[in-house]
Amino acid sequence: MNEGFLLTALATAVVLVVAGSVIALIVAPRTKNEQKGEPYECGVLTRGGTWMPFRVGYYLFAILFLMFDVETIYLFPWAVVMKGMGMQGLIVVGLFIVILALGLAYAWKKGALEWK
Amino acid sequence: MDIASITASQVIFFILAAVILAGSVMTVVSRKLLHAAVYLLFVLLATAGIYFLLNYHFLAAVQISVYIGGILVLLVFSIYLTSQVGEKMDEPGIVKKTVTMLISMGGAVFCFWVLCTGQFPYADQIHLNEIDMHAIGQSLLGTERYQYLLPFEAISVLLLACIIGGILIATGNTKKED
Amino acid sequence: MNDLVQLMRPEMLLLAQVVFLLLFDLFAPDRARRHTDAVACALFLASIAVGFLPSTTGEAFGGMFTVTAMTQVVKNVLSIGLLLVFLQSRVWLSDERTSFKKAEFYILTLSTLLGMNLMISAGHFLLFYLGLELASLPLTTLVAYNKYSDESIEAGAKFVLIAAFSSGMMLFGISLFYGAAGADGLYFDVLSSRLAATPLQLLALVFFLSGVAFKISLVPFHLWTADVYQGAPTSVTAFLSVVSKGAAVFALMFLSFRLFAPLFEYWQYVVWALVVLTITIGNLFAMRQDNMKRFLAFSSISQAGYILLGMIAGTPLAMSSVVYYLLVYLVSNLGIFAVVSILENNSGKVHISDYRGLYRTNPYLSVVLMLFLFSLGGIPPFAGFFSKFFVFMAAADQGFYVLDFIALINTVISLYYYLLVVKAMFIADSENPIPTLHTDSWSRLCLTLCLVGTLFFGVFSGIYAFLSSGAWGL
Repeated sequence: MNEGFLLTALATAVVLVVAGSVIALIVAPRTKNEQKGEPYECGVLTRGGTWMPFRVGYYLFAILFLMFDVETIYLFPWAVVMKGMGMQGLIVVGLFIVILALGLAYAWKKGALEWK
Repeated sequence: MDIASITASQVIFFILAAVILAGSVMTVVSRKLLHAAVYLLFVLLATAGIYFLLNYHFLAAVQISVYIGGILVLLVFSIYLTSQVGEKMDEPGIVKKTVTMLISMGGAVFCFWVLCTGQFPYADQIHLNEIDMHAIGQSLLGTERYQYLLPFEAISVLLLACIIGGILIATGNTKKED
Repeated sequence: MNDLVQLMRPEMLLLAQVVFLLLFDLFAPDRARRHTDAVACALFLASIAVGFLPSTTGEAFGGMFTVTAMTQVVKNVLSIGLLLVFLQSRVWLSDERTSFKKAEFYILTLSTLLGMNLMISAGHFLLFYLGLELASLPLTTLVAYNKYSDESIEAGAKFVLIAAFSSGMMLFGISLFYGAAGADGLYFDVLSSRLAATPLQLLALVFFLSGVAFKISLVPFHLWTADVYQGAPTSVTAFLSVVSKGAAVFALMFLSFRLFAPLFEYWQYVVWALVVLTITIGNLFAMRQDNMKRFLAFSSISQAGYILLGMIAGTPLAMSSVVYYLLVYLVSNLGIFAVVSILENNSGKVHISDYRGLYRTNPYLSVVLMLFLFSLGGIPPFAGFFSKFFVFMAAADQGFYVLDFIALINTVISLYYYLLVVKAMFIADSENPIPTLHTDSWSRLCLTLCLVGTLFFGVFSGIYAFLSSGAWGL
């Protein structure tokens, strides 16, 4: 990779961000009032704590997503050499996918894909 | 090291290394779980940056899509699952802090010293050019030496077991338990 | 191809069973699914039988996967251990709180066993690491199986953290090996020829061994053991303390005999210290326990010390004595766990003080438990005596007399606490002892098998001779 280019890009990014904030700090007019501290500047006031436990369903989806995310990663290198690998490649990747598909089947059957 | 001979890639490496180091320390030191997760994000991103620097583009992409897109999101979700989200964890006592710091710093310095004085006689074997996706595919699916079909299949079983285990722990039950 | 099927037969059979049981659980009608345990056990029994058929040895995948006569033997030993766990876990699994996730227990334990097999046969760090992860991650779920019990969840959390931490240490060690021996040094055969005891390699060895020591729960890497053993369901504890620990021991054994042979004189010192610490501290803490599962946790820690004592010699004699020790430990310890889980499932009691007066209400169970405890303690006519004897012999053979002496003193100490349990059952009296129990036929079968092993492994010298025929030294 062209390091000079990368370094320039990096420096530009840093300079742009820093310059933006510094200039804003110097020239921007400032006012303070209570409304600015609220989550929404308009609408109904929020009540109670905003931190609350999520439902476990989100977590389930995340874990399933992660598993199949990893699976997809492994399919990329195969996809590139698919033609050259022929039948053998198809079989080994087939085994890989079938085993993971069993995981999906399990999730499906056990109701992990339903939103409860 | 001579100042004049520092290349751009070395500068980038040091920036990334600093981000990784600072991020790791903050991840451990931060008393809020969510903050720790965000610091971890920087560590993972900078690690991906190092892979890019080494021309391991595929690995860098994996790092970003799996670790940042997957594991970190999972981590944040599981932090939100806890009932004390947003609460600060208890601060450990000063004695505990000091002793832990001394031990871990001592260990780190010792490892650093061994690594710095150590010899790497086979370092020239490691490729630093970009590795072609074809080569990765070939070695992932081949059965010869330096090819990794067996670990590849083992991963599928590992993932299957993790899916089953994760669902088993996370789903509600159809029948009641104690 | 035919060769590959021969070499990987146990692994392929395990994979087939995992897939079959998963499909069976998902798609079989409810009526058939009630017999999941029978199906799983029958299949597994068949696969063990196949495992004893003669098969070839050699390498596959370019040195990634190696099979020797000894790896075949230890895989069979672990499979037998898992079968015994299956037999004794049936009552717990049939409970209405766990019966709906019965199949998962079998699927996860079988995939764990698959991981152990890969770890044992690995010829490359990548496969070793994956096998290790496969052998420990699903176990987390099993440890936290009673997920509405706080203890079980706590144990699961501790276990997953320790698993991650020890894997991290091990990976760091592996990365140092990678640095010190080059990219193809991840293959064991290449690495062993490049080991030259440089500081870097020794540091790598230390990190790597620490990672493995966590799995075997050697002192000072044992702190998780008691809590996890106590919190996990008893059958899972049995699996952890025998099969899982056994697999890690075997993996360490093959690695140290094959891979770390050039560093032998260095790790010998480390192992010396670990043996003394592990046996002594395990014993001292075991004396103080009242909860039977914690008691067994510390007892299994000290047993791990004896196993390591066998390994220190590095001779073929050492290898066969370690495998023999583990075989005997497997039947004795699983026998104890079978009795403990029978008592726990029926009366909910797991404390040694609850066992008072057990002899009057449950004479058979008490006698059987006594025999297993005697075997574990190393009292003469039982197999445990011979296994300890061989381990001591192997160490003495290479001149480790001091170490043997320390271990011998510790054996006497260990008799004290094993006899404490016996005393509680036979001599101490109780107002309300555990009532007379009905033992189900599966647990009975498990107890019988363990008892036969405990009584006859010592007497039949053929087993030991068979083990030493496949052993090799440094």
